[in-house]
Amino acid sequence: MSNLSLITKGIIKENPTFVLMLGMCPTLGTTTSAMNGLGMGLATMVVLVLSNMAISSVASFIPAKVRIPCYIVIIAAFVTIVQFVMQAYVPALYETLGLFIPLIVVNCIVLGRAEAFASKNSVIRSAFDGLGIGLGFACSLTVLGFVRELFGGLSVFGHKLADADGMLAFVLAPGAFIVLGYLMVLFNKAKTKIS
Amino acid sequence: MAKESTFSNMVITLFVVCLVASAGVGGIYALTKDLIDAAKIAKVNSAISGVVPDFDNDPSAEKFEVTTDGKTSMVYPAKKDGEIVGYAIEAATSKGFGGAIVLMVGFEPDGTIYNTAVISHTETPGLGDKIDVKKSNFSVQFNGKNPETFHLSVKKDGGDVDAITASTISSRAFCDAVETAYKTFKDIQQK
Amino acid sequence: MKKLLVSPSPHIHGKDNTRNLMRDVIIALLPSLAVSIYFFGFSALRLTLIGVAACVAVEYLIEKYMLRTKVTIGDYSAAVTGILLAMNLPPNAPWWIMVIGSIVAIGIAKMTFGGLGQNLFNPALVGRVFLLVSFPVIMTDWTMPDSWFGSAIDASSGATPLGIVKEALSKGETLQQIFAEHDFSYTQMLFARVGSVGEISALALLIGLVYLLVRKVIAPHIPIAILGTVAVFSGILWGVDSTRYTDPLFNLLTGGVLLGSIFMATDYVTSPMSHKGMVIYGIGIGIITVLIRQFGSYPEGISFAILIMNATVPLINMYVKPKRFGRK
Repeated sequence: MSNLSLITKGIIKENPTFVLMLGMCPTLGTTTSAMNGLGMGLATMVVLVLSNMAISSVASFIPAKVRIPCYIVIIAAFVTIVQFVMQAYVPALYETLGLFIPLIVVNCIVLGRAEAFASKNSVIRSAFDGLGIGLGFACSLTVLGFVRELFGGLSVFGHKLADADGMLAFVLAPGAFIVLGYLMVLFNKAKTKIS
Repeated sequence: MAKESTFSNMVITLFVVCLVASAGVGGIYALTKDLIDAAKIAKVNSAISGVVPDFDNDPSAEKFEVTTDGKTSMVYPAKKDGEIVGYAIEAATSKGFGGAIVLMVGFEPDGTIYNTAVISHTETPGLGDKIDVKKSNFSVQFNGKNPETFHLSVKKDGGDVDAITASTISSRAFCDAVETAYKTFKDIQQK
Repeated sequence: MKKLLVSPSPHIHGKDNTRNLMRDVIIALLPSLAVSIYFFGFSALRLTLIGVAACVAVEYLIEKYMLRTKVTIGDYSAAVTGILLAMNLPPNAPWWIMVIGSIVAIGIAKMTFGGLGQNLFNPALVGRVFLLVSFPVIMTDWTMPDSWFGSAIDASSGATPLGIVKEALSKGETLQQIFAEHDFSYTQMLFARVGSVGEISALALLIGLVYLLVRKVIAPHIPIAILGTVAVFSGILWGVDSTRYTDPLFNLLTGGVLLGSIFMATDYVTSPMSHKGMVIYGIGIGIITVLIRQFGSYPEGISFAILIMNATVPLINMYVKPKRFGRK
């Protein structure tokens, strides 16, 4: 499989949100607006790429029995680093995403990819895999956030379309579940049509 | 192909991994610490500069705590040419519909409210979150008013404040926080 | 030799079918509808008609064009959902809110799950709760529109008695003070009050209940279980502290408890199959309703209570099986 197809695989065939259905918690919790979803998705993507590369390079040195704790420590380190960088350079986004940034550590996607792919593949390929899955995650979150923001706040990427409130249910938890469900249907339907 | 899982291998690997990871984290922390602190101060300062008239001192450097009626608030004095032009008081209330609301209320030396800003809240979106000036003009009605003559409770309770439609509790909580700030202000005046 | 026809059972057909049942429900709702039109005038009628039209249209469009299956609007279930949804809304609600509610009720709560018989949650309530969360300001504005006969009731502050009580209690007033300030007479509640199109008259709803029981459309277990539990639970609380907890009669007559227990909780699809299960279901609804009313942040709890218990119905059905015909 070529490196480029690794990326497209992460976005479509193995989209973490709509196909693999991993990382649901941040998906539902941070997509109250398109920007928040995008920010969260990109932060996760950075962690995915870095941790995949790091784990891929040291996997052969780690005894099998302690691999999970080692991976978690590595992932946690990267998440903390990303957290500091966000706090320093994009404090507003950092405040909005709040608790969800440190929660990237326990996002199934990151540990899952590390165990399933990075530990068994080369550094370059792991990087591309992380990039693909991360992009897929970022895209799904942005789309979900876009829909919720549009219906729930009548705004697009922060720009209000009308001077009224939208349907608040969409920016609250119930709307998240409902929109995610329907997007999953649409995505999978489109996926079957393409392939 | 992983290494063999002998006891010494495991201990060494874990030790090395943790060492390198914490070194990395520590390194980045040192690099970004100043930026992070600056961002935090900038956030407080921008809240302050929004609520008091122009100043040329550093209110955060001269901040002090005041306890009034059992409630502690942080006061940031704003000065121009050495003279007090206003006080930004960070006051909180626990009576919000969703819990605590923290405001920054700016008073001119004679007690008139210059402006207010919401620092944090957990009110309901679409209803109580209208206390934030980004969502509605509710908080603007406090500007230019002096609590000696402008009674800080909602009209329903006999005061002069127009409550947010269907969000009386949030409106009341906002008034409560402003009231706390005002009491703190009067406390400072007396000292 | 004459050919003998062999066909599978059933060989004897009852008169029940969905359409007849739904027609009986509509008839049972007519007294409440009449009362609300009397007090709210044209707004109530308009809201109900829009509701019926929108629900039927949504079901038709989805079935015919999206799913390409048989169109089932003839079983009147969509129409009933439309009426019930309208009865849960404030009389002043704009038409587009009704349409959105119908799309949610039929599109999301009913058709997405597979249509009549497959839905897990009561569609009208899903629509109502969705609207309540989405448009909190409009959904809590109970100001009386002008009616043909003028306003026979005081328009008060535009809040329902439950809303007024909740707010005043949070301010620290005692119930005695609240009841002295506002005129919450029981006769008023029995006959006419501020409220949604469906809350407006307890008496009209009770007439509907009697009709449904007589026509054997519903069994009495669910309404009795709900009302009984609400009365007992609120009674206990009232006994403990009558300055903060409203008395049982007030709780029975205000809000959507009567409408909910008679027309919403008894929906066949979303309620348990066995009588014992129905009682458990009703008790659960009663408890949750009172909990939300007295301790939660919403003034009214029955919609949420029914929806929560809807989720437990498959579980109840699994463990409390209906008696099989012929078995002891």
